[in-house]
Amino acid sequence: MSEHNLKGIAKAQKIYSDRSQRVKELKVAGAQILGYMCIYPVVEIISSFDLVPYRIFGSIEEPITKADNCLPTCVCPFLRSALDLGLKGKYDFLDGVVMAHPCEVAEKLAHIWRTYMDPVYSFYIDTPHATREAAIEYHKESLKDFQKSLEVFLGKGASSEKLKKTIEDYNEQRALVRELYDLKKPDPPLISGVETIEVLESLMSIPVKEGNELIRDVIEEIKERRGGPAKGARVLIWGSIIDSIAVVKLIEDLGANVVMDDTCVGSRFFFPDVETTGDPLDKLARRYLVDLKCPRTFIESGIEAGKKDYAEDLALRFGYLGDYVKQWNIKGVVLYALRFCDTHAYEVVSVKDYLSSLGIPSIYLEHDYSATSLSPLKTRVQAFLETLGY
Amino acid sequence: MAEKKKVIKRLKTMYPLRGLVDKMFEKAVEYSHEGKPVAWCMVNWWGGDSLLRAMDVACIYPEDYGAVCAAAGVAQTYLERCNSDGFPDHICGYARNCLGYASLMKAQGGIPAGAPMGGMPKPSLLVGSGYFCDTRFKWFQALGRYMDAPLWLLEMPHPGVPESLGKDSEKYIIRFMVEELKKFVAFLERSLGKKMDWDRLDEIVSDTIEMNRVWWEVNELRKVKPCPVHSRDFWSCMPAALYQAGDPKETTILYKNMYDEVKGMIDRGEAAVPNEKFRLAFAELPPWHSLGFFDNLAERGWNCVVESWAYHPPQFIDLSQYKDPLERVARHTFQYFAGFFKHAHEAGEELGYFGYPYIEYVKNYKCDGFLAHPLLTCRTATNHLMYVQDRLMQKLKVPSLFMEGDIIDYTLFNPDEVLRKADAFEEAMLHYRDVRKKEGLDW
Ligand code: SF4
Ligand code: SF4
Repeated sequence: MSEHNLKGIAKAQKIYSDRSQRVKELKVAGAQILGYMCIYPVVEIISSFDLVPYRIFGSIEEPITKADNCLPTCVCPFLRSALDLGLKGKYDFLDGVVMAHPCEVAEKLAHIWRTYMDPVYSFYIDTPHATREAAIEYHKESLKDFQKSLEVFLGKGASSEKLKKTIEDYNEQRALVRELYDLKKPDPPLISGVETIEVLESLMSIPVKEGNELIRDVIEEIKERRGGPAKGARVLIWGSIIDSIAVVKLIEDLGANVVMDDTCVGSRFFFPDVETTGDPLDKLARRYLVDLKCPRTFIESGIEAGKKDYAEDLALRFGYLGDYVKQWNIKGVVLYALRFCDTHAYEVVSVKDYLSSLGIPSIYLEHDYSATSLSPLKTRVQAFLETLGY
Repeated sequence: MAEKKKVIKRLKTMYPLRGLVDKMFEKAVEYSHEGKPVAWCMVNWWGGDSLLRAMDVACIYPEDYGAVCAAAGVAQTYLERCNSDGFPDHICGYARNCLGYASLMKAQGGIPAGAPMGGMPKPSLLVGSGYFCDTRFKWFQALGRYMDAPLWLLEMPHPGVPESLGKDSEKYIIRFMVEELKKFVAFLERSLGKKMDWDRLDEIVSDTIEMNRVWWEVNELRKVKPCPVHSRDFWSCMPAALYQAGDPKETTILYKNMYDEVKGMIDRGEAAVPNEKFRLAFAELPPWHSLGFFDNLAERGWNCVVESWAYHPPQFIDLSQYKDPLERVARHTFQYFAGFFKHAHEAGEELGYFGYPYIEYVKNYKCDGFLAHPLLTCRTATNHLMYVQDRLMQKLKVPSLFMEGDIIDYTLFNPDEVLRKADAFEEAMLHYRDVRKKEGLDW
């Protein structure tokens, strides 16, 4: 069945299973598609030019062959996989790419991607780690340059009004996603962790307004449906990118419910809004630099006091996780990091310390981003769930 | 593999420069005893060192201490401690060494027993950096478990090649850097309870720029055939400039002495490696625990004549027109970062640092081969190596040899395997000499 005849979750599942189908249709109808990597390329700017932003992912199912000649095996396997798909022509439908600086390897990949994929259009948005005023100002200048480069590429001017309107569309989407996550607060949750990823990845694969329609349908459907997830251990998953349902499925198949997440395909990407008053570029710079809570950004306590208190620092950096734990009634946390992901690897021990201070048990899983290496993780998750009493 | 006799001819003027590192650690211990401020810093490519020096803070670099621990054979203890504290084993060897050290320091209430070079005393400040590798600030953040020193992040913009060349780019890049430095000064003044001595800073910044100019000139001399300075000498004296290990004015004199020595060698036709047969560019960080291995290569006539751009001083530009010392710091550092970008753009290259500089180096230093040392625990030193290998072959017909290893963990380095590959690599280097000739390249 084509996705046009589908609605709600079924439609999301269809899109998830063949993510590029819709944008390819749009392309035939004359749309231009811009690929973007990670959560830092500002999708509002892309959409405000009537381009369709399409998030670039990897595939844990597909063995990496071609990228082996460009990126060594000791760097992020997700990035290697994404490049591998690109080199195999799976992203040939893109009219251009926008990359940023989420982490050091992704920043290098932006340049390596341009070299080997030779996109017609590309832009790299530098993204500082600091969140001080000068950094925000600098980021805003980079966003201005991004806008200018799109103007040159498309031969049309940017419109501040259009940008404001697009920001509102995205804020609407974010509000809907937060509403969807509210449906994960009851016990059992009304929607599973697997379904959540299917919906969210769909949103990153279609134009924003279509996405808003889709998620509205999903919310309506799951509020009414019977036979959602059964009761189980309420788990939060934190970590590096999870762009495949397989990891969450592994946990949920063991009888747990992944009711909350802190990953870049989940709440980390969708939760913060963009302020709608004032200069939109300024607000976008603030949202992306300050409000997105990713370990790649530097936040630190003790700068004013001249002395650091570790507990205070943990609360400053991970306090939002404490809120999630309370609001979603979390019983245990799975810390998931891809092997060779430095930004997350350094954070693991501190996040564990913070969760322990709240009395929340956690387990650290390291994954090499391949479907074949999931089974040892399963045994460990099972043992962890047993310690939670499930 | 039995270590062979020392073949590489070391520069006499290298020793006092190398000695500055020991003095740097000694000074920190002294400062700590006297109750004066000590900072643990990440190498930050001149972004913050001059400011710390002007505030009379003793700076030490746990990265460098990682190399010291590796060379002294004690790193394994710290690595194990770090692992048992729960840090993943694929993170930077230097960082694991330091985290393990800090963990022991906390447990023992002071410098861990048996720490080499008198150890690193407890810091009053941590100065991380946003330059290049994520480890540069994530590692110091993770140290919060073991110490209460506040951490400052020295930020550095990382624009892409085409993006950096926009009409207004340089203006807002420098503005950003200067503003960040101002905030750093305010942080230092607050933390140390005293004001910045701006005149002193002005002098230090000028001295630092001059020191790097002379050091740059020394490296320019290495283009000569045969090359009088092997990478081993480069690595031994690079901390003097890179970490400002000593007073920059005094260090400048030491580099000038080195310049004179090297110039004399050139006049006499002397080389670092007798019978220089092959000239190599080396990437990135060496196996600190096995530096004697380069003598085995030198015995075959392999001379390592240039290293990664990352550790080289920036090409000199005159910054005397900028009166604000913070602006000079910003411009000097940015010149280092983006100094190759214009050429990279003209050459159609996207990776303007870590990538393109090798193309210029290999051409200008007339290298026969690219010797790469990928590190399992360092993304920064590794992620571009295959890219560089490919570009060098595509553009310059220069072959590469990869020797896997680690900066700290000697178990990951297999020198015998490299030597086994050496014959075939020599054949490749000879073959590509002919290919280059046929293609009109001049070496
Ligand atoms: S998973 Fe980690 S290393 Fe990979 S792109 Fe994300 S932040 Fe970077
Ligand atoms: S560049 Fe590599 S070795 Fe140096 S601190 Fe970063 S990760 Fe560690």
